[in-house]
Amino acid sequence: MNGASLQLPRPAVALWPLLPALVLLPLTLLLPALVHGGGWDLLGRFALAALRPSFEPVVLRSLLQGLAITVGTALLGWAASLLLGLTLGIASARVVWQTLAGASWPALLIRRLLAIPRAIHELLWGLLLLQVIGLQPAVAVLAIALPFGALVARVVSDQIDSLPLRNLEALRAAGASAPGALLTCLGPPLLPLLLSYSGYRFECALRSATLLGVFGLGGLGTELRLTLQSLAFAELWSGLWLLLLTMLLLEAAVSGLRHRWAMPLRFSAAAAGVGRQGRELLLAALALIPLLVAVAWGLGLHPGQLLHWQGLPPLGQPQWQAVAALPWFQLILNTLLLTALAAAVAVGCAPLLLLLAAPWRPARLVLQAFWALGRLWPPPLTALLLLFVLQPGVLTGALAIGFHNLGILGRLLLEAAAAADAGPAQALELAGSGPRLALLYGRFSGLARPYLAYGAYRADVILRESVVVGLVGATGLGSQLLEALSGFAWDQLAALVLAYVLLTLLGEALSDRLRQRLSEPR
Amino acid sequence: MSGRERLTAVLAGLSLALLPAVSPPLTGLPIGAAGLSPILQRAQAQQPLLRISAIPDQNPEKLNRLYGQVAAELGRQLGVTVQYVPVTDYTAAVSAFRTGSLDLVWFGGLTGVQARLQKPGAQVIAQRDIDAAFTSVFIANRRSGLQPIRQQKQLTVLKGRRFTFGSESSTSARLMPQYFLSQAGVQLRDFAGGTPGFSGSHDATIALVQSGAYDAGVVNEQVWKANLRSGKADRSKVFVLWRTPGYPDYHWIGQPDLDKRFGAGFTAKLRGAILSWRSTNPQQKAILELFGAQQFTGAKAGDYRRIEQVGRQIGKIR
Repeated sequence: MNGASLQLPRPAVALWPLLPALVLLPLTLLLPALVHGGGWDLLGRFALAALRPSFEPVVLRSLLQGLAITVGTALLGWAASLLLGLTLGIASARVVWQTLAGASWPALLIRRLLAIPRAIHELLWGLLLLQVIGLQPAVAVLAIALPFGALVARVVSDQIDSLPLRNLEALRAAGASAPGALLTCLGPPLLPLLLSYSGYRFECALRSATLLGVFGLGGLGTELRLTLQSLAFAELWSGLWLLLLTMLLLEAAVSGLRHRWAMPLRFSAAAAGVGRQGRELLLAALALIPLLVAVAWGLGLHPGQLLHWQGLPPLGQPQWQAVAALPWFQLILNTLLLTALAAAVAVGCAPLLLLLAAPWRPARLVLQAFWALGRLWPPPLTALLLLFVLQPGVLTGALAIGFHNLGILGRLLLEAAAAADAGPAQALELAGSGPRLALLYGRFSGLARPYLAYGAYRADVILRESVVVGLVGATGLGSQLLEALSGFAWDQLAALVLAYVLLTLLGEALSDRLRQRLSEPR
Repeated sequence: MSGRERLTAVLAGLSLALLPAVSPPLTGLPIGAAGLSPILQRAQAQQPLLRISAIPDQNPEKLNRLYGQVAAELGRQLGVTVQYVPVTDYTAAVSAFRTGSLDLVWFGGLTGVQARLQKPGAQVIAQRDIDAAFTSVFIANRRSGLQPIRQQKQLTVLKGRRFTFGSESSTSARLMPQYFLSQAGVQLRDFAGGTPGFSGSHDATIALVQSGAYDAGVVNEQVWKANLRSGKADRSKVFVLWRTPGYPDYHWIGQPDLDKRFGAGFTAKLRGAILSWRSTNPQQKAILELFGAQQFTGAKAGDYRRIEQVGRQIGKIR
């Protein structure tokens, strides 16, 4: 199929996705030293409460209200990020500038500038915006819209610039106007990708809105954090079940629409046409507008709020010496270690678990439920829960973020494996190999490269995300950042955010290179 | 066409899920920070609304019960609409006060000093009788093998133990305990795992230490006593290791512009109302009991100078 077996020193391509799982060996060795075992009964009470969630009307009403705020925030933030991303994406595409203005450097400039909002995690945006516009519903919406918008812009501009230019050149040579030619040539191939990607973004927005709530920006996340902190597990599970239901419904709706409108999968290379569903699409888009307005009204969101800027607090004399005296090396090392561990756990375990569960259908279902819980549960809450039985530190934080991303990667891998060509796997099974080997060599070998490429992108996300487990302590830049924030130490805060931005940009450059190598045709 | 039906079903499902967001929220429920109801926001434009809040140092249910009653009582006494806005984070409470989203906040010692430094002109309204000499208790799990200590310098027994503070910005569960620990020669890196935990609230600390998730922790004595009375803290599992000397803590802080917005003399009226609460009045008795105090007394900004000093020493105030 792809001739990897000809390169003897390297393992077969199908085995590549399993390599990161090797991190489990040192983890299993280190974990017993971390277990303090003090809180097993608390953990047991937490697990039991899953079966006995609270149905008290007061609790449910407050949770439903929280859920509505979270879903509404996600929807608004998502819509705003798409609008922003599409505009900026077009504005940062080289082809567009080349065709319209004859020079492509402004595209590059905009692209560079957009790297900054993208490198700052939505939680940081939320906490920073809180300082400028106060405690408003708009804070959470903007905190999602800004980094997501910059992310969408990057994907859009990358896609535009990778489209073949023959048609455009032909139209231009035939005398078509520049905007018209651009729209005709780039619009149709862009649409399916945009649709598929935006569906995925909505799922991300829901997760982010929940996370922002955990840090006090309202909605269900707030309720989850408070109930966990007061160890009210029955109420906590009422909220979790509600969130799980919402998330699964949303995911089913997105994947249903994706199938219906013939969208490509998240990491498949083949583009597909939109089919004949244009009218439906238009109707859905039109239906979205009144919905957005209604949700904005329901959340009490007014554009006017954004204009009420509050002055920054008295900043005081910056103490750069104290900033320089921070243990930078240790902080950055811990952050990178946490990222690498979490990424390895997430990327490696998804295919491994899928292989282990392959022969038994019930095991696969259990696995899917486990992954759904991972996606659902915001990493800071997992971290707090892990602290019942584990010591604080990098490993605990890495496990929390790894578990969350395992849920996301696992689902994508399962979808891709289901959609992959069934031929090779069936042939292998007919030839007598077991279900695991058939899955491994039949399906994974084709998926290995796009999966790992996506894993590299996920590692970027994890690096940004490492800030959210700052509360389990000693996790590097993240915990230092939360500490600086609670002491209102602006100089430290600025330096730490800058360090995050630089690290993220470096990480992006590295993972871009890795992705390119993985997608090189050989 | 079944496909179209499916699409309609999906859209209908989505709108159902979003329905609660669209319907006007019910008032008086514990709503998130971002969930200010539009009705109240509109009311705000027409007549001044006094937004009160508190640092989230205890169970949200208790905070909702307590501050719901405070809002009702203040509304009755002052003749203005009073709304309780819950916040979930100490730092967020300070920021919200600075940006003018909250008018009157029950702050801890440290957060109060932070708030006044960030909002020049903010006024100390009142404190409880117990706040002038507030105390914390270090607590420990019975199975940890720790024994009660007599002197501060014996706090060194906590070295190498799993230890948790409350919130990062708490005065009674972080700032002063850390100060007393460092006087005894115990630094944060001396705890097991190289760092202490931050449970987020006093109730959480008690539950975590009682379960054994942490060997020891520190909480404010008032919450500790309340937990003993309610039976949530079990003496057979958790005990007092050491009680700290007294220091000034919680207080009410009001915005500098209250008189301008609510009429001349409003701040004085507000202070008078809070100071007038007595346990002879049933409503006020319930409030005072939840606050764990006999009554409120006047307070000055100068009373918190010591907190400011320690805050600067530990780097929580700049």
